[in-house]
Amino acid sequence: MIVFDLVKQEWKKGFRSQGFYKNLAVNILLVFLSLYFAGLLLLIGFSLDNILEEADKTLNPMELFNGALIYILLAGLTIRFFLQQLNTINLPPYQVLPLKRSLLVNFLLIKPLFSPVNYFQLFVVVPFAIQSVSGYYGNAVAVRFVLLCIMLMWFNSLMASFLKRKFGSSLFIIVGILIIAAISALEFFKIFSFFNVSKLIFTYITLRPFGLVLLLLAVAGAYLLNRLFFAQNFYPEKFNEKIKSENNIKANLSFLNRFGIIGEIISVELKLILRHKRTKSILYMSGFFLLYGLIFYTQDVYLHNNSFLFFVAMFVTGLLMFMFGQWVISWDSSHFDSIMTKNISVRTYLNANYYMLIAFNLLCFVLTTPYFLFGPIIIKMHIAAFIFNTGINTFLFMFLSTYNTKRIDLSKSSAMNYQGTTFKSFLIVIPVMFLPMLIVGALSPFLSISAILWILTGLGLSGLLFRRQLLTLCVNQFNNRKYKLAEGFRQAD
Amino acid sequence: MIQVTNLQKIYNGITVLDIPELNISQGESFGLVGNNGAGKTTFFRLILDLIEASQGGVTIENEKVMRNDDWKIKVGSFLDEGFLIDFLTPEEYFAFVGKLYNKSEGDISTSLESLKDFFNTEILGSKKLIRDFSKGNQKKIGIAAALLGDPKVLILDEPFTALDPSSQIRLKRFLNELQENQKITMLISSHDLNHVTEVCKRIVILEKGHIVKDLKTDRDTLKELENYFAV
Repeated sequence: MIVFDLVKQEWKKGFRSQGFYKNLAVNILLVFLSLYFAGLLLLIGFSLDNILEEADKTLNPMELFNGALIYILLAGLTIRFFLQQLNTINLPPYQVLPLKRSLLVNFLLIKPLFSPVNYFQLFVVVPFAIQSVSGYYGNAVAVRFVLLCIMLMWFNSLMASFLKRKFGSSLFIIVGILIIAAISALEFFKIFSFFNVSKLIFTYITLRPFGLVLLLLAVAGAYLLNRLFFAQNFYPEKFNEKIKSENNIKANLSFLNRFGIIGEIISVELKLILRHKRTKSILYMSGFFLLYGLIFYTQDVYLHNNSFLFFVAMFVTGLLMFMFGQWVISWDSSHFDSIMTKNISVRTYLNANYYMLIAFNLLCFVLTTPYFLFGPIIIKMHIAAFIFNTGINTFLFMFLSTYNTKRIDLSKSSAMNYQGTTFKSFLIVIPVMFLPMLIVGALSPFLSISAILWILTGLGLSGLLFRRQLLTLCVNQFNNRKYKLAEGFRQAD
Repeated sequence: MIQVTNLQKIYNGITVLDIPELNISQGESFGLVGNNGAGKTTFFRLILDLIEASQGGVTIENEKVMRNDDWKIKVGSFLDEGFLIDFLTPEEYFAFVGKLYNKSEGDISTSLESLKDFFNTEILGSKKLIRDFSKGNQKKIGIAAALLGDPKVLILDEPFTALDPSSQIRLKRFLNELQENQKITMLISSHDLNHVTEVCKRIVILEKGHIVKDLKTDRDTLKELENYFAV
């Protein structure tokens, strides 16, 4: 089978890419991370039975699960639309070989179904099926339940790639969220329960052997939709690209012109963020992370842990800086020579990045003001965190970002892309993220939290006061690292 | 204008460039030829302070270029696509670069007007991002941007490759006009011996990092170069 040759060549492409071994440390870290998530999911899988038994007395756990499936399905579709990369293969070398078009299309469509990430759900589903479903309905139903989950994943994956190819705009994410919000509202106000519908349908499917045939039909339907799309968009060059929108070019940032050269540089940097998939998806992701506070501020356990609270406050009030901060220089890697030879002094360049980070902080601080409702301590935390971020962390990021010497190719792909991420990138975040947390933790036994926050605020203010000197420090550091940066950025991997 | 003293670049113990002394005077058109790996681009990068010299240095109008920003306003350069900001449209890019060199919008459009022939209607007003242009058109954009700041020194690395025949001829004419009218100092490297002899008054042959010939261009230069490179 030629398909296997294609699969094999894709594997080789992965292992033989230069970055693979150079980045071994990062890859190992990612393996640990996935093991961690697998463990977490297993834990959920084994406790799900108990949780659902407690949650409702009239329905059994599988019925509850099936009821929630419609939400899981929709949320999954939305997230996939956002994160799932369109599978591509390097077409030109294959196009000239006598390979059937349908083979290539099939390969494009079916390969993502084998991505291991998709099967992580089994860590939850399998223990749950063994513990709970087989107890209520017997082993045959338990197996069918697992198959149901797998097929729904296939359906979701195929639908997501179809929708993404067809509509290709991030607008769909908003539509997806709106749909989920709408049906949740109908549910909540007891107008119409999708929960019951979903429960009926999926329980019906699971309990009857031929139910799986219905599911297979749904998967086949999603598959055919994709085929139809490719039939209409005949030329292979279209496989890889979703339809290009020219909207993003229109973005009007001319208000920044008032701020002179620094404003110009910031406007170029903002265009950089808005015109690359990878940065744009980080931007969207940041939107979700802003809600991070809701997880912690609502729990009593965390409300008494000041150092942790400060960590969260710092994270949400400086979110964009934490997302973009250490990349301010390496994101310019593809046009670094341009910046170095055009009439921009190093100081101006770094100053522009500094003001951009401050603007990010200001924006995040304003966006997170609703958290003030959680009480005066949160207000104090946020203000102290904002000032500390702006005074100290901005410079830390600019100083440390000169150690990211790997070229980053923003044009390549979007979310969950670790290209250009090295072990150093993780090291950089450690002092910035955890040092203040440690300060709070270390001082807590001796001082009141207000006093500690005043100290941190003071540190932040002195950072603002001495910004010229600190910037000079960054300029010197940049000049020292300049040739290493330029050389690293010139090497594409 | 440009002074090179005892310049050396050593990579992993191998000397890739070694120029004891070289002076390029105001208004001179300086052509650099040599086979691949001769050190042409390395030399240009050293002048532009993009790599660190292992020894010696370069000055432009008696100012050291190393870790310095002051020479940048005098120099326009285009070596490769890394000199472009490829997610901008050409107009945005020109506006940005113009701003950096203190040009008003009027100045920029006058400059672009004079390049209209060279652009051949393909570049301005197309609403495409630079990254979506062909290599040849990207090169035109880069060269135009290098000229936008009215530089005293212009540094171009193989400006003729990837250009279509008409554009090559237009570029040659344009560069010759620049020399005559504005006395710009030009440093141009090229693999095309014809073009480089037509544009440059002085031609230096680089081989394995050393200057092996330094010629004043006359009728016999092309012959001499061809003989030198003939195997």
